[in-house]
Amino acid sequence: MVPLPYVLGLAALLFSLGLYGVLTQRNAVRILMAIELMLNSVNLNLVGFARYLEPDRPGGQLFAIFVMTVAAAEVAVALAIILVIAHRRDDVDIDKINLLKW
Amino acid sequence: MAGLAWLIPLLPLASWLYIGLPSHRASTRYDRVGIGAVGIAFLLSLGVLWDVIRGGSAAASFTWAVHGSTAITIGYQVDGLTAVMLVVVTLVSLMVQVYSLGYMHGDRRYKRYYAVLSLFTFAMLGLVLADNLLLLYIFWELVGLSSYLLIGHWFEDPANVRAANKAFLTTRAGDVAMFIGIMILFSQTGTFAFGELGELAQAGAISAQALALGAILLFAGAVGKSAQFPLHVWLPDAMAGPTPVSALIHAATMVAAGVYLVGRAYPVFAASPEAMQVVAWIGGITAIFAATMALVQADIKKVLAYSTVSQLGYMMLGLGLGGYTAGLFHLITHAFFKALLFLGSGSVIHATGTQDMHQMGGLIRKMPITGWTWIIGSAALAGIPPLAGFWSKDEILLTAYYANPTLFWIGVVAAAMTAFYITRATWLTFFGAPRDAERYAQVQESPRVMTVPLVILAVLAATVGFLGAPPLGAPFAQLVHFGEVHHLEMTSVVTWGVTAAWVLGVLVALAIYAGGWISRQRIISGLRPVYTLLKNRYYIDDAYDYLFVKGSIGLAYVVGWLDRVVVDGIVNGVAAITRWFADATGLFDREVVDGAVNGVADGVSVGSQAFRRLQSGLVQSYILAMAVTVVLGLAIFVIGG
Amino acid sequence: MSLDLISFIVLGIITLVSGYLVVASANLMHAALFLGLSFVGVAGIYLVLGAEFLAAAQILIYVGAITTLIVFGIMVSNLQDLKAGGRGVWARVVRNLASFRRGLVPLVAAAGFAILMLVIYRQSLWPAEAPPASGSNLATVGRLLFTEYVVPFEIASVILLAAVLGAVALSRRDDQPPAGSTGQAAPAAERKEGR
Repeated sequence: MVPLPYVLGLAALLFSLGLYGVLTQRNAVRILMAIELMLNSVNLNLVGFARYLEPDRPGGQLFAIFVMTVAAAEVAVALAIILVIAHRRDDVDIDKINLLKW
Repeated sequence: MAGLAWLIPLLPLASWLYIGLPSHRASTRYDRVGIGAVGIAFLLSLGVLWDVIRGGSAAASFTWAVHGSTAITIGYQVDGLTAVMLVVVTLVSLMVQVYSLGYMHGDRRYKRYYAVLSLFTFAMLGLVLADNLLLLYIFWELVGLSSYLLIGHWFEDPANVRAANKAFLTTRAGDVAMFIGIMILFSQTGTFAFGELGELAQAGAISAQALALGAILLFAGAVGKSAQFPLHVWLPDAMAGPTPVSALIHAATMVAAGVYLVGRAYPVFAASPEAMQVVAWIGGITAIFAATMALVQADIKKVLAYSTVSQLGYMMLGLGLGGYTAGLFHLITHAFFKALLFLGSGSVIHATGTQDMHQMGGLIRKMPITGWTWIIGSAALAGIPPLAGFWSKDEILLTAYYANPTLFWIGVVAAAMTAFYITRATWLTFFGAPRDAERYAQVQESPRVMTVPLVILAVLAATVGFLGAPPLGAPFAQLVHFGEVHHLEMTSVVTWGVTAAWVLGVLVALAIYAGGWISRQRIISGLRPVYTLLKNRYYIDDAYDYLFVKGSIGLAYVVGWLDRVVVDGIVNGVAAITRWFADATGLFDREVVDGAVNGVADGVSVGSQAFRRLQSGLVQSYILAMAVTVVLGLAIFVIGG
Repeated sequence: MSLDLISFIVLGIITLVSGYLVVASANLMHAALFLGLSFVGVAGIYLVLGAEFLAAAQILIYVGAITTLIVFGIMVSNLQDLKAGGRGVWARVVRNLASFRRGLVPLVAAAGFAILMLVIYRQSLWPAEAPPASGSNLATVGRLLFTEYVVPFEIASVILLAAVLGAVALSRRDDQPPAGSTGQAAPAAERKEGR
């Protein structure tokens, strides 16, 4: 049986990988991927807790399902935005996307 | 019927949703939806009122969210005050929407206008029906939002946008305090509900300091919304919105929400003598202070705006001195006659195309309906018996006479000023010789959709006062009272004081403007400093600009400086320090040399530069700041715990 | 060491290494594929934890839809990776050591987060042993989803609908190209990006 701290620890490591990606990448697509990693680590936490704290009524798994749903929606919209930007300026460096700034 | 009260706000909500939904059809039918919804709501409100008069009441609530042992509920309650307010709000809203058929005809954003009017009506009705502070706060903010949207209705003009922002931000200052007050009361009692809160406060379950603090902070919200001193600055600017909006929101309903809040939470206030003192004095100061500013305005709507501020001060004065019935009765009567006056001014503006009273004159010959209804409204405002304002103002001053003589005399002087400025406005607008012949020639009476609401409101303004007339048994007091119904004995001092006030005010105004026995120029030049002070609104707006705009500029400089140093490294930082010092000394220099006027203008532009830097717009910096903060928090948790 | 634990460790290593490569690999397309591998690893961990339905959903949604979508997006928009992302993590950290936003601070923040969380987990008390899994939980999940969680479920469907509409509206080419890009005629293939 896998001890709960192992699951949580794995999730924490995955989360910080994602966090590092979100903080340092300039390519919007890659930032999107890093966000997906973070969401996955959150799901891992939810599933892990669900397994250990309420095995007969896995509410945590349901939350994970909703996270997935929202993630899918998010990726669809975010990619659409990125594509529009890429078509207009051939560049998805988020430091340079500042049309709405100021 | 009272059990159906929850339906009343839902009708305008439905109408808002229907009108507000995006649609490519350019139809003008939307107005009918709005008017229909509020019309049915008005009939329902009448039913509710009838029910309440016969002794009915209703309340219901259901749990919204549970947090630990506290349940937050949503619910409504119907009592005398609610029922009366429902009728007033729906009636005025109905009148204004009908009137807008004519006034806003052909407007570019006709649909949006009716949508937001419906939203406002919904929010205001919800606010009136709410049975707890949290729900009331939600509607309170919704009301503020729709007010913002309507003030900025003609947002092509930057001045209107500025006015809308000013109104929104100024009231927000009060709202923040109000929210803190709500939370203080909640932390002390564990409930938001008015009923329980009142019982606990009356029973002394809350410590005196917490109660006073909570009530005063709650009152700060009312100060913002009801434009009381020192947050009154937004209301005169809010006149940038369409005039029917001013009538509905900035005269009859929304600004009355502050007064209503104090009335609704009255048990809390009544349990704290300190809070009552604050309410009374703020009210008294506002009443006289705004009245003095109304004396010199040339813009017909500004006169009414300051008059509204002053009258709201009256209501607060009455409430603060224990005149629960008196203050709220004035709220009702004022709603009718001030809505009438605003709609009348709208009719005049519609006809002449100007708001400057010095370009009007003699209009009563061209616009008899508008003119005579206006005269009824202004007589009611001046407190001439037996019109509405006489009875309600009398009650407030009577309360003041027994409770606090100083405030009584302040009230009397304010009443005299009220009579003066409204007589002045009436004369300049409707009588005398036309001062602008070209305009005068084009003037004609407004269409019937505009005059019919005027007539209805005029009838109400003339008669609604009898509901609170002691000789007729004051039926209003039976419906809305705090504790036992009690009547104060009329004394000759009050009678003569009030009578002398309005007679004097009217006569002096007529002497100056109609008879010309006292030269206007001589008064102005004789009282030059006072006149300048009043014309400049006591420099309060300037002071706020100076204090807050400048204050945030200073802060922005410091923050911007920090940011630049952190981002660009120490080398740049040294340069930035030097530059900052140079800028600061330069700013100081310009201040001293060029004086305050230039300083304000420069400050705003320099300040926005500083704000620009503060907001780098790089989302990653923001996330990084968040992450670093979280990690630091975790570190403290690990090391400390 | 039970079979569960062994598979958990193997899957965890797969997940972490491919997660690292998502951030670190020079090629954007490689990064996307490693992302898919990382998702597969997470799906395996779900299986170990007895969440069969979720594991299937993870494969379907994340691997099947999201990764594909990202790969597709990269191909369609012809994005080359930016230079800053093109080098290894360590080279980048060293090169940008002085920079606040791209240097040591994010690394310290991310690593500090992981280390602190691990320390906290070590210090905390945990349930010693999980109750035994009672067979497949698919039925339970299904029942919960359509009874207790039916409102969030419906809301999720509305969110998805809104997202679909939004994505279509965003990626639809207007008939009139904007004044600045008249020179670039839109290839027909690009008209179909709206999902």
